[in-house]
Amino acid sequence: MMSKKVYLSVLFSAILFTGAGSTVTHAQENTAGDVARGAVAWTNNCDRCHNMRQPNEFTDNQWRPIISHMRIRAGLTGQEARDILKFLQENN
Amino acid sequence: MKIQNSTIYRTIIAALIAGTPLSSSIADEDINKLKTELETLKQKVDKLTTQQKSENNVDSVLHVAGYAAIGYADQKNDNGAFNTVRFNPIFHYQYKDLVLLETELEIEIEENGETHTALEYATIDILANDYVSIFGGKFLSPLGQFRQNLHPAWINKLPSAPPGFGHDGAAPEAEVGLGLRGATYAGNVKVNYTAYVGNGPELEEDDDEVHGISSGGFGRDADDNKVFGGRLGILPLPKLELGISAASGKAIITTRENGMAVPTTEPSRDYDVVGVDAAYQFGQFDLRAEYIQQEIGDTTGGLADEGGKWKTWYAQASYKFIPSNFEGVIRYGDYDSPHASQDQQQTAIGVNYLFSANAIAKIAYEINDGQAGSANDENRILLQLTYGF
Ligand code: HEC
Repeated sequence: MMSKKVYLSVLFSAILFTGAGSTVTHAQENTAGDVARGAVAWTNNCDRCHNMRQPNEFTDNQWRPIISHMRIRAGLTGQEARDILKFLQENN
Repeated sequence: MKIQNSTIYRTIIAALIAGTPLSSSIADEDINKLKTELETLKQKVDKLTTQQKSENNVDSVLHVAGYAAIGYADQKNDNGAFNTVRFNPIFHYQYKDLVLLETELEIEIEENGETHTALEYATIDILANDYVSIFGGKFLSPLGQFRQNLHPAWINKLPSAPPGFGHDGAAPEAEVGLGLRGATYAGNVKVNYTAYVGNGPELEEDDDEVHGISSGGFGRDADDNKVFGGRLGILPLPKLELGISAASGKAIITTRENGMAVPTTEPSRDYDVVGVDAAYQFGQFDLRAEYIQQEIGDTTGGLADEGGKWKTWYAQASYKFIPSNFEGVIRYGDYDSPHASQDQQQTAIGVNYLFSANAIAKIAYEINDGQAGSANDENRILLQLTYGF
């Protein structure tokens, strides 16, 4: 019981901490997407769970939430997500 | 090329100058008309360009995704029937690169013709930084792979879920709670993680036994003890993922098969999940395997004192016969629960035709081995047409 309460507080503190720090780290790490890196990351990641979806299936704007969704599903870093998004937007 | 062009222009200009005064006044009129048309066109293009620019730069984007499936099943001792009509719309709402709302509904026709609607998941993700996202709401169980990543009909290579991965089986389905997830690199090795806390599952009693574990995600915490869980995925190669999952907490009986009320004195008991999964792609092959178990502890003075273990595993191989649109798949699964009537071993063989990556026709044959005389023991033929959008 006790240890779970401790675990819970640690988890919540971690959430608050990352939440508070997010605006700062966000700005620091926000390196723009790169098409070449994106092409590699797309090939490596996007047919691991399902058939490959082609860049021209969606518009630039449609790809935005799709890639955020896939970042969550596929366990991508923010940088990989930006690179893949850039690649898809340049090739649709 | 240049000389030729200028010669042509000169000839045209000469021809225009040589024109009669009458024809030149007509030409003036035409030119003025053209000028106005050009001006309007320019304005329109300017407007469209600004519009498009602002559309591409807006902070908020709404997108509707999802999938649909229709299916036919035929089994010995049962009528062959079109038994599946399912539509799962997914709504995405994104604010900048910071917030994503993902919500999936499941709208499905039932045997009696009524429509079943469910909230598959509704999650708000805060993309806190490049390595951490905070998520909360109802989410598909991140334990293992099948439930979260493979169950949508256009993704699952067979028309059915492996034994033990359906409702009240061995694999947890969904959770209501809060968590963190993300990815990073340890050298060249990619690592992804999920950690969460949630209300946890509830238990069903039948005939003085715990009949099953309901893990569809509850909006209450009947045992007043949260379940903590997570998964760690490691990708030593870009297309090789190995994962371990675990969860721990308490669970309590909340429903009885005979409809009687559960006594308020019903004690809660331990609840634990352990799982491992692996996936590997090379060439046109896709190979995956997964083991997962949910275990509940014993208790005293309750409706059903004995605990038990619901465990299952499957291994699946598929191959795309490029350049044709056909794909072959074979899967073996073995589900073992404390109740012989739920157990099933299954070999499923399927052939898929891919109209496109997301529009697929499937035909499959299941060789089922379960308790003699039960539906789990009957072989089945399954047809499915599915579209993911
Ligand atoms: C870990 C598994 C996994 C990986 C890897 C993955 N996807 Fe997905 N993808 C899914 C699932 C699961 C869905 C269905 C959505 C759902 O049910 O929530 C999906 C859906 C989609 C859709 C349909 C629209 C939508 O958002 O539902 C597109 C397009 C897509 N993925 C593209 C991609 C791209 C591009 C990549 C590479 C970055 C990728 N996927 C990598 C699991 C994955």
